[in-house]
Amino acid sequence: MVPDTLTNHADSYPHLAHNNGRLNRPMAHVMIQLVKVCKEYSVGKTVQALRGLDMSVEHGERVAVMGPSGSGKSTLLNLLCGLDEPTSGIIKVDGVELSSLGDDDRTRARRVKIGMIFQTFNLLPTLTAVENVSLPLRLQGSARCEAEERACAMLNRVGLNHREVHRPDELSGGERQRVAIARALVFRPPLLLADEPTGNLDSVTGDEILNLLDDLYREFKSTLLLVTHNELAAARCDRILTLHDGQFVKEERLAHTAAKSL
Amino acid sequence: MLPALWFCTLKQWRSHKLRVLLTTLGIALGVSVYFAVRTTNVTLLDSLKLTVEKLAGKATLQITSGESGFPEEVLEKVRSTPGVLFAEPVIEVVAHTGFSDEGNLLVLGVDTTSDQKLRDYEFDRTQTQIADPLVFIAQPFSILLSRSFAESHGLKTGDKIPLFTSHGRKDFTVEGIFKPVGIGEVFGGNIAVIDIYSAQFAFGRGRNFDRIDLMNEPNVSVESVQNALKERLPAGLDVSAPEARGKDLENAVSAMREGMMVTSFIALLVGIYIIFNSFTISVNQRWKEIGVLRAVGVERNNITVMFLGEALMMGVIGSAIGVVAGYYLAAAAGKLMGTAVASVYGLVSTPKAADFRFSFAAGSFVVGMVASLAGAWFPARAASRLDPALALHNIETRRQEAVLGWGRTSVGLLILATSMSLIRWSPPRVGMTFQFFYAALMLLGLTVLLPKLVQWAARALRPLMDWAGGSEGALAVDAMIQSPRRSSATVGALMIGLMFVFSTGAFIQSYERVINRWMSRMINADLAVAASQFLRSPTYHFSEDLTSQISQLPGVKHAESVRFTVVPYENDSAALISYEMDHFLARAGYAVDEGDERTVLEKMPKGEGVIISRNFGLRFGVKLGDPLHLDTPTGPLNLPVLGILDDYRSEKGVIFMDRSLYKRYWKDDAVDFVDIVLQPGSDVNAVKREIERLTSNSEHAFVYTNAEFRQWVFGLVNQFFLFNYIQLVVAILVATLGIVNTLVISVSERSREIGIIRAIGGMRAQIRKMVLLEAVAISLVGLFTGAIAAVFNTYFMVHTVSLVLAGYTVPFYFPWPLILITLPIVVVISLLAGWWPAQRAVSLQVIEAIGYE
Repeated sequence: MVPDTLTNHADSYPHLAHNNGRLNRPMAHVMIQLVKVCKEYSVGKTVQALRGLDMSVEHGERVAVMGPSGSGKSTLLNLLCGLDEPTSGIIKVDGVELSSLGDDDRTRARRVKIGMIFQTFNLLPTLTAVENVSLPLRLQGSARCEAEERACAMLNRVGLNHREVHRPDELSGGERQRVAIARALVFRPPLLLADEPTGNLDSVTGDEILNLLDDLYREFKSTLLLVTHNELAAARCDRILTLHDGQFVKEERLAHTAAKSL
Repeated sequence: MLPALWFCTLKQWRSHKLRVLLTTLGIALGVSVYFAVRTTNVTLLDSLKLTVEKLAGKATLQITSGESGFPEEVLEKVRSTPGVLFAEPVIEVVAHTGFSDEGNLLVLGVDTTSDQKLRDYEFDRTQTQIADPLVFIAQPFSILLSRSFAESHGLKTGDKIPLFTSHGRKDFTVEGIFKPVGIGEVFGGNIAVIDIYSAQFAFGRGRNFDRIDLMNEPNVSVESVQNALKERLPAGLDVSAPEARGKDLENAVSAMREGMMVTSFIALLVGIYIIFNSFTISVNQRWKEIGVLRAVGVERNNITVMFLGEALMMGVIGSAIGVVAGYYLAAAAGKLMGTAVASVYGLVSTPKAADFRFSFAAGSFVVGMVASLAGAWFPARAASRLDPALALHNIETRRQEAVLGWGRTSVGLLILATSMSLIRWSPPRVGMTFQFFYAALMLLGLTVLLPKLVQWAARALRPLMDWAGGSEGALAVDAMIQSPRRSSATVGALMIGLMFVFSTGAFIQSYERVINRWMSRMINADLAVAASQFLRSPTYHFSEDLTSQISQLPGVKHAESVRFTVVPYENDSAALISYEMDHFLARAGYAVDEGDERTVLEKMPKGEGVIISRNFGLRFGVKLGDPLHLDTPTGPLNLPVLGILDDYRSEKGVIFMDRSLYKRYWKDDAVDFVDIVLQPGSDVNAVKREIERLTSNSEHAFVYTNAEFRQWVFGLVNQFFLFNYIQLVVAILVATLGIVNTLVISVSERSREIGIIRAIGGMRAQIRKMVLLEAVAISLVGLFTGAIAAVFNTYFMVHTVSLVLAGYTVPFYFPWPLILITLPIVVVISLLAGWWPAQRAVSLQVIEAIGYE
């Protein structure tokens, strides 16, 4: 299935279309490709956060990235969603070479290709659940009514149809993360990046959220990159990559059954 | 613990330099204006008193009678009084020179044959012929100049200097130069001396003198001579030592001084508001930090102390800057005031450097610190009451804000109602401090109500912003609806600024309305000829000859002489206007607002009573039918008050009487205006040209048609509102500064939200549009709340400020056209002010903003 958001917005981003040749489903089934990606920070002295990473994630794959604090997980996530630029190397997401784009084009790419889920939810406190979820659509130029209609449908999908007009402070932690997931998926991105999505939740709620992510992953047929410390969450993925000092030190492929996954 | 908290505060200062700078400047602004006004007022008075003393020379007593002067005969009576050694007549005028660069010259008319007994002119013997005063008398247009004036204009003995007299521009021959010491220092050295009889003629004094300066015999005390003179002279003549005339001068410029005090109070209020605003924002910014501090064991009181300590430190720095800036402001204002008192009041001052008074500096410093603490008190209290558990959570945990509760709204309404009741019913005699306390209470009430007002206004605005600005517009205004606490501080600054703009506009327009009504009654002649560019001038007058000549012109039905002067009344002074009442009342339509119309029409032309203005009645407690006692230069005059009317020509109040009665008692036939009524069918402009031709060579005259005269009066009203315009400029400046200040802070406070929007795909351009639309939304809500606040403040101004400054209240008028005109201006200013904050928002680092590792 072709994500309708991409089809809808292909005309809006000719630059992207030119860049990758097409915006519809890429010929190769590689969703994420990293080639010798380095990231250095200069904080008095130079710190190498990522040291020549190579990585390839296929479309529809679920990949967990694990590693101790300071290993470079968040830096990797920032680069993948285009919030940051690599010092060197190539980053391609869904065929678009992010590392060659300017900030505005990276933002456009993020807007149509990448859904983000944060550990701290990052909902806007002044907006209701439905307003938070409809925000990406409204930023893409959708009319308010249309955006909120789709947001309501998405909230319904994550089981929050009764909480649409509640603001974040009126929701529980699990409900907030459901709103964040709804916001990340409302425009049907081909890539979902999740940064410790259960990090701020109790184990029962965390499990519920992981189950929901599993369901939605299957339903939306997107690619999932999960950054986590949680081994149980990582075990749900197809592959686990372990980062240490800015380098992948281990790769583990998991053989899943439906029963194990769910 | 406190040093640790102080360390946290300093860290905050380092990361919010702009906020600290603008807040400190807010305090500095209030303190500098407060200090400058106090210093300027005292310097001006000192300068006026110094001038009186220098001009008095060796005189121990001076005899005066308001502005009208007194007959020459008084001089003989004074000279023949036992104990008087010398007595010299004086005419003192501020005349316009014909030089383009030099406006005014103080011309002293003295008896050149004898005046050197009292005043030392220190003549430059190489350049003067004063050794033979008869030469001076023999040539009526002779003049002696101070050396500084002569040198700055390249004049020497024998040269001609053009001077505007009551008879037009005349060339005076320089007969001598005196050194810039003694009286030569007065009025910045712009001083000249002419013969007294020349002065009487040149400046329309008739057979009157302005003043007599005298010296007592060495063996007789000043007091005994003073008592002897008081016994011999009519009560209308004041006999005082030169140094005792300070009180009169204080009275003369009281409206100007009080206007300046009003400005300084407003500047202080604005300063307090800026502090309040800034600290409210600071508490919002430090929400999480306060939570952490409370969590690690800092007590509520210490949180309060931390914020108050910060305010105190800003107060110290701001007050210090304010005192220094205020001193320089006082120096600049001093020059302006010196020119203003010379032009408007005809009073001469001697320029002197602004005195740096330690007591004023210390007082202003303390006021600055108290204002800082007062402004920071409520935000500090709010900070100490923060729930640490809530504060420590993520931004999503913020709950419905307590500022929107109905409890707070009710308290706000109660404070507002109390302040308005006090403004309405409190007697004016409680004084300006109390009156301004009521105004401050009114502002407090509005501030308490503000979050609710912001929420209402933003809700009303949302559909428009959504329609006009799309998702960015809706997002911009949503923030205001959901979190009015954050926007309130910004809107508050705008509310105050625009409130001053609107209420000043309303005040001026209310005045214009009453003046229009007043003019349709009082300015009823077809043409008017005035002796000055101002409403009245102590310098220039016409003689009655001009009135006679004008009445002979073709097309003129009749011409009437009007005298407008200031006379002493009950240890103060009041304006006295004398009309040819039979003609004037016949044209006025309805004569009085209070009193029997028929009695007025019958008795006023006969000089059997007076009419007073309403503000005179309020000021001196005189009512309809009361006897009015006036001490004239020829003796006491007692007349009943036949009527009361609204008149706006003097803040001291006006007494109206028939001209013949005035002439009889004041022995003064000078004319300030000539009112001219034309024959039916005559061409106004043709007659005007004739009068201009008649006066072009012989009179210092300004000819106006009725419409021009009205325009001219409006010009004068605008001069009266000079201080209001200054307030207006300050208000606009503060409002603009407020938008920049609060938007920068708002962007900084919302950086995480902006980061989130960018993270989920918001473009830089969208962020810029959102911030600019927020600026527009804030300005529109500010406009709405400013208009509401202006309703209350306008009432305060037309009721209280008007009563304090002008002695009367004016009807309330609200300036809807001004608000509509302001709308696009405010939007443009807000867009300009929002540009820089928008750029800051655009350049935010998303990763840092959303708090990633």
